[in-house]
Amino acid sequence: MVLKNIKYAIRNIPKPPVTRMYPEKCTELSDRFRGLQILDKSKCIGCGICANTCPNVAIKIVKAPIAPGSEKQRWFPEIDIGHCLFCGLCIDQCPKGALSSGKEYTKGVIKWKHKDLLMTPDKLAREVELEKGDER
Amino acid sequence: MAIEFPEFIVPFLPWIRGIVGLSLVGVIFLGAMGAVWLERKLSADIQSRVGPCRVGKYGLLQLVADAIKLFTKEDLKPRNADSLLFNNATIFMMGSVFLMLVAIPVGAVFINGVEYPLAVTEMDISVLYIEAMSAISIFGIFMVAYGSNNKYSLLGAFRNFARMVGYEVPLGITVVSVAVMTGSLNIVEISRSQGLLWNIFLQPLGCFVFFVSLMADMGRLPFDQNESEEELVAGWITEYCGMRFGLGFFAEYIHMILGSFLVALLFLGGWNVPGFVANNPVLGLIAPTGFLIVKVVFVLMVIIGLRWAVPRFRIDQVVDLSWKKLFPLALLNLVWAVGLGLYLGA
Amino acid sequence: MEEKLGSNEMIIHLGPQHPMQPGPFRLNLKLKGETVMDAEIELGFIHKGIEKILENKTYLQGITIVDRICYLVALTNEECFVGCTEKLLGIEPPERAKYIRVILEELTRIQSHLLGMGEFGEFIGFVSMFMYTIREREEILGLIDMVTGARITHSYLKFGGVRDDLPAGFKEKAIPVLNNLKKSVDDFEQMFHTDRIYRERTVGVGVLTADVAKSLGVSGPALRATGVPFDIRKNEPYLVYKDLDFKVCTETAGDCFARVQLRLNEIRESIYILEQCLDQIPGGPLFPEDTPYGRRTPVMRVPAGEVFHRVEDPRGEMGMYMISDGSDKPYRVKVRGPYYPTLQALPPLIIGTTVADVAAISGSMDGCTSEADR
Repeated sequence: MVLKNIKYAIRNIPKPPVTRMYPEKCTELSDRFRGLQILDKSKCIGCGICANTCPNVAIKIVKAPIAPGSEKQRWFPEIDIGHCLFCGLCIDQCPKGALSSGKEYTKGVIKWKHKDLLMTPDKLAREVELEKGDER
Repeated sequence: MAIEFPEFIVPFLPWIRGIVGLSLVGVIFLGAMGAVWLERKLSADIQSRVGPCRVGKYGLLQLVADAIKLFTKEDLKPRNADSLLFNNATIFMMGSVFLMLVAIPVGAVFINGVEYPLAVTEMDISVLYIEAMSAISIFGIFMVAYGSNNKYSLLGAFRNFARMVGYEVPLGITVVSVAVMTGSLNIVEISRSQGLLWNIFLQPLGCFVFFVSLMADMGRLPFDQNESEEELVAGWITEYCGMRFGLGFFAEYIHMILGSFLVALLFLGGWNVPGFVANNPVLGLIAPTGFLIVKVVFVLMVIIGLRWAVPRFRIDQVVDLSWKKLFPLALLNLVWAVGLGLYLGA
Repeated sequence: MEEKLGSNEMIIHLGPQHPMQPGPFRLNLKLKGETVMDAEIELGFIHKGIEKILENKTYLQGITIVDRICYLVALTNEECFVGCTEKLLGIEPPERAKYIRVILEELTRIQSHLLGMGEFGEFIGFVSMFMYTIREREEILGLIDMVTGARITHSYLKFGGVRDDLPAGFKEKAIPVLNNLKKSVDDFEQMFHTDRIYRERTVGVGVLTADVAKSLGVSGPALRATGVPFDIRKNEPYLVYKDLDFKVCTETAGDCFARVQLRLNEIRESIYILEQCLDQIPGGPLFPEDTPYGRRTPVMRVPAGEVFHRVEDPRGEMGMYMISDGSDKPYRVKVRGPYYPTLQALPPLIIGTTVADVAAISGSMDGCTSEADR
């Protein structure tokens, strides 16, 4: 009568659990996982196509030094994590291929103030630690 | 049972009785906590997940954390709720469960070959008394549901009545058939009489009917229409929070433990152990009680596991099942028990 | 629904927040005891204004917005939108891109049906069924994740093709998963068929007749369970469905049991389609040659015109009517979702049944309220 269900349930008991003990074990991300973007400053020309393409107006083009400690400044994208959908359209549309997908999705993306959510070009190029500038 | 106490203890006897009684209450709550832990872990095993694992080793202290949370919650009362019913409902439920606990023996000790069952009281009509007290819990649930002034709880209350009325009858008839075959209504006698052969082999149909009626009596899936979360948003206990809810919650689990004790004592042989164990001085103290506890845990695991493995009936199918299918089976079992009793007695 | 109450009647809201619902909608029930005398549905709690948003976004940005109409079956929604735009542009993706799209959409169909069956089991009290089907669904989501990079809201399709090719070793990973799924689906079917409690709850409950279904515009598994063999993949084939061999599953009873049984059969058909696709997939480019369309979409001015395109969503027929005025943003996009007519079929079905059956019937329709409200 209900025996098949009971048998299936009892057969399930010795099987190992399929859940993970987060945060000791993190998710295995696929190769194409779209995390926080990585900027290659040598390729970026500051055209602004990524800012026009973004569906949520998350990218603003700002002036930033071309290397840490340098005097010369150029236009680079700054991404607002609060608005970013991580859809990857900016990565696809860049004519020079300066943006690519990183794998960070919890490190450096959870902040307390809105101004910390603006990922400056230095942070996007990974010249500066992502968690720098957190004020609690 | 009459033990002679030394002279110097006699003035302190009421105090000792009081302290032992209160600590038994604590032990009962610990047992309920263990039952909840068992349910959470067993359901997690069936569903391929882990269950409580962070608080204490294997999550054993999870219930302590939950009890602290329940104690510190705000005590809300709906505006138009009936004060008398709302305030006293879950206390009533807990009270009815404790009234049942009084008569059930939790084990026995063999000292010098003489058996002393461990029960708070030993009555001649204990089985009938337990039946009657379990019927009082209907009032508790109805007070909870009706006093909330909530439409969902009201639906739960009506379903509860329909269910309870139908299932008390087969429950009583199977218990009576066991008593008829044994010749006594005393639960200690019934347990003692299974020394040769357990009652489940003598009355298998009776055991099945008793088990199903017990599940319906306790309100466990597949018979938990009054608290079906998917339709009625927690059903009869929607408006309760904090320790009021905690009392109702624990009352349900203590009722479950009691039900398992009943099944183990009436059908699974109680605490009977072979003769050589009973005469052994050390084993005679712990083996019968331990054996009974093992049987109780087994029945408890069956009751818990069944909840997570099957769907739920509709309320009209529940009533249909009780009157059209279980009642005739219970009567058939009674006839069989009477015949068997005459044959064995002759 | 009348507000005047008789002697034993009360009005109860299976309201916007309820453990039973797949999404927020308000179902007003007039109950007499446990029997439902009258019912009324109110929608609109999750209206996001997607059709208006689409008028202010370019076509490329619109792909990420259309993803979110029903977040569980995002790829089918994208297919509808991209298909409309490709018809207006006059381009067609090459064979390999079409096969990849079919593979992903069938995977989406499988995972949506698994989730729908699990939720239905939960609504009738069989909580563990949800866990069993979710466990199988994880494997399928892993396959989709391997290709698109996300488990939900993929934004994977592009005009003229797909964004990335299938990764190396996809077929070797997919075949064992599909074989395991075949065994699991057989197990679920056995559990449903032999369980007496389940049969009592679902057989003969919520019977939808073919005439009522056709007149209301119901489509998808709810219509096919009444005996009408209507499937857009056969009636109006798009992508490569005319080259694939599969049959349209139907059942005749039209009750909850038939609908769930139909979904199980559809999972089996989808697995068969997937095996054929993985065998037959040709090599070749992902985007049409000699056109500027590629992974980097050029600035598009879509020629003016109107077009209607429909696809077979796991819940029914999804269509989009797109009007373009020659600029880079659509003038109007009207979405025809599959769950809205199915919701309209719900009140007549539940009059006369008990509250417990309301949960069973609305669960067997397997809906996503987010799609009904847009």
